[in-house]
Amino acid sequence: MKLINYINIRFMLLLLVIFTLAGIGLYIKLGFDVNENIDEILTARMDRINDNIMRHPQSRFIGVSADQSVQISEIGPSKPNRYFSDTTVLNLHDKRYDTCRKMTELKQFKDNYYKIQITYSRFETEDMVEILFTFMIGLFVLIVALLYYLNYRLSKSVWQQFFKTIYTLRNFKIGQRDKVLFSSGNIQEFNQMNSVLNEMIAKIQADFNNLKEFTENAAHEIQTPLAIIKSKLETVLQDEKISPDILKQVQIAYKTVARLSKLNEGLLLLSKIENRQFVEQADVDLCQLIRTRLEFIEDLFSLKSIDLRVQLDEPVIFNMNPVLADVLISNLLNNTLKHNLQNGMLSIVSARGELVFSNSGLPLTVEPEKLFQRFSKNTASNESTGLGLAIVSEICNLYAISLHYSYADGQHSIKLGF
Amino acid sequence: MKILIVEDEKNLRETITDFLKLEGYLCEFAETVADGSEKLALYDYDCMLVDIGLPDGTGFELIRELKKGHPETGIIIISARNSLDDKIEGLDLGADDYLAKPFHLTELNSRIKSVLRRVKFSGKKEIVIGKLCIQPDARQVYGAGQPIVLTKKEFDLLLFFVSNPQRVLTKEAIAEHLWGDFADSADSFDFVYSQLKNLRKKLLEKTGTDYFKNVYGSGYTFVANEP
Repeated sequence: MKLINYINIRFMLLLLVIFTLAGIGLYIKLGFDVNENIDEILTARMDRINDNIMRHPQSRFIGVSADQSVQISEIGPSKPNRYFSDTTVLNLHDKRYDTCRKMTELKQFKDNYYKIQITYSRFETEDMVEILFTFMIGLFVLIVALLYYLNYRLSKSVWQQFFKTIYTLRNFKIGQRDKVLFSSGNIQEFNQMNSVLNEMIAKIQADFNNLKEFTENAAHEIQTPLAIIKSKLETVLQDEKISPDILKQVQIAYKTVARLSKLNEGLLLLSKIENRQFVEQADVDLCQLIRTRLEFIEDLFSLKSIDLRVQLDEPVIFNMNPVLADVLISNLLNNTLKHNLQNGMLSIVSARGELVFSNSGLPLTVEPEKLFQRFSKNTASNESTGLGLAIVSEICNLYAISLHYSYADGQHSIKLGF
Repeated sequence: MKILIVEDEKNLRETITDFLKLEGYLCEFAETVADGSEKLALYDYDCMLVDIGLPDGTGFELIRELKKGHPETGIIIISARNSLDDKIEGLDLGADDYLAKPFHLTELNSRIKSVLRRVKFSGKKEIVIGKLCIQPDARQVYGAGQPIVLTKKEFDLLLFFVSNPQRVLTKEAIAEHLWGDFADSADSFDFVYSQLKNLRKKLLEKTGTDYFKNVYGSGYTFVANEP
C-alpha cells in the first residue's frame, strides 16, 4: 500500500468519525434550539388562549380547533400544571403522521378544571436533519476529491525526489568507481534521508576500498615471501653438487610451495569474487571462449586420449565480467580433465541458455551437495587445491547462473543455466 | 646486457640478481621509486624489471619515466598484485610483459630473453646452437639446414629450454610455461614428459644430437655445448 493511501484512508476514517459526531452534535443542539423556539411559541399561544378564556368567561371553549392544533377538555380536579412533550399527530391533509411538540396545561377556572393541549408541527427539524445529512455527505465527498487531486499533484512533485533516490539506490553497485550523490530538494525529510544515505554510501565505499586494499595487500604480503622461497629453492635445485637425498627434500619443499601459492591465489580470487571486485561487464560469447581454451589445452586431452565431443552450435552469450568468464570456463575444463579417465570422454554441449559439461570418471567419494564446497576433494590427490569448483559455484552465485550436478552411467555432468 | 631490477624485497632481489648474473647480465638494483628514477636518469639499461608495489610509490611511475627517456628499453613488470587492472595499465603504459609472483626464475629468464630479442634485434635474430637454428619470430626451427616441423607447444618448449641453457627446468616450471592455469592438473608431469619425448625425438632425427638431460626427480636440462 502506498504511504499516501495509507495516510489518506486513516485520515478519511477519522474524518468520517468527526463528521458523524459533529452531525449528531449539531442535530442535538439544533433540535434543542428548535424545541426551545417552539416552546416559546407554544407558551405565547397558551397565554393568548388563557387570556381569551379569562376575557370571555361565558363562551364555550371546550372542543378542538379546526386544524386540531388546539384541544380543550374538561377534567376532574387536579393540580394546575404545565408541561411539554413530543407526540405524533395524524395529518389529515397528507394522511401521514407528523411529529409534533405538544404543550399541556392543567388549569382551574372558577370551579372547573380544564386541560388545554396545543401542538406545533416539528417538520422543520426533520428538514433540518435532511439538510444536515446532505451537507455533511457533500462536504465529505468534496474533501475526498480534493485529497485525491492533492495526492496526484504531490506524487508528481514532492515524491519525485524520493523516487529519484530509490532509482539511484537501485542502480548502486558497491564496487562502482564513480561517486553516488543524492541531490537535495524542498522536502526536509527527504533531504535528511538523502544526506544520511550520502554518508552511508561514502562509508560503505570507503570500507569496501579498505577491504579491497586489504585483500590486495594480503596477496602482496603472502605472494612475496612465497616468491622468495620458490626462487631460493629453485636456485638450490640448479646446484649440481648437492646430494640426491637433500635434492629430494628440496624438491618436496618446492612442490609444496607451488601448491601453497596456488591455494593462496584461489582463496584470494574467491574473496575478490565475494567482495564483488569484478565490476566491469561485457557480453561474453561463452562458446567461443570454450573453443579458445580447448585449443590451448587440446594436447592435454589428446595425451590422455580423451574423446572430445564438442557441440557448440547454439551460441551462449552472457553479460558478465570477462575475467570471471575465463576463470569459470577454465576451471570447468580443468575439472573435466583432472577427474577424467585415461581413454575417457568429454562432451560439451550448448543449447539455448544452457551449457552442459559431461565427462567420464569414477563415482564421487564425497556427497554431491558438498562437491561445490571449499576444500571438498574427491580424489586424495595432493595436486588439487579443492577450490576449483568452489570458485565455479561462487561465480555462478554472483551472476545467478543455475548450477546442477548429476552422475549417471559413469558420467559426471555439470549443467549451467543462464 | 644491462638490467635494472626495481624490487624492495631484498631476498627476492638478490636471488634474481644472482640468477641473472650467471646468465652474463650486468645487474643493478633499486629499492624505491626515487632510487630507480635516479638510476634511470644516470644510466642506460637494456631491460628493467619493476615491481608495482614499492615503498614510495608504484612501478607505473618508473615505467612512464622510462618510456619518455628511453622508449627502446624493455620493461617487465613483476608484481604480487595479480590483478587484471594492473596488468592492463602496465601494458598500456608500454611494459613488454607482466609476470605474477611467485614465478619461476627460469620463466623470468625466458621472458627477459624474449623481450630483449624483441627490443634489441627487432625480431631478426636467429638462435644458433650447434646444428640447431631457431627463428623465434618466424617460429621456425632448422636442424642441419633442414626444417623441423614442431607443434606450437613443442616450439614453445624448445624456446623455453634454449632461453635457459644449462639450467634445470623443473617440471612445474615447464607445465606452467606451456599450459598456464591448467598446469595444476594431476597429470601435468606426464604431459610434460610426453611433450618432451616428442620434441627430443624430432630434434634427434634431424641433428643426431640429444640436447636434453634428465635431472633425477626435478626436471630437465638443455645441454647446448655437447657435440
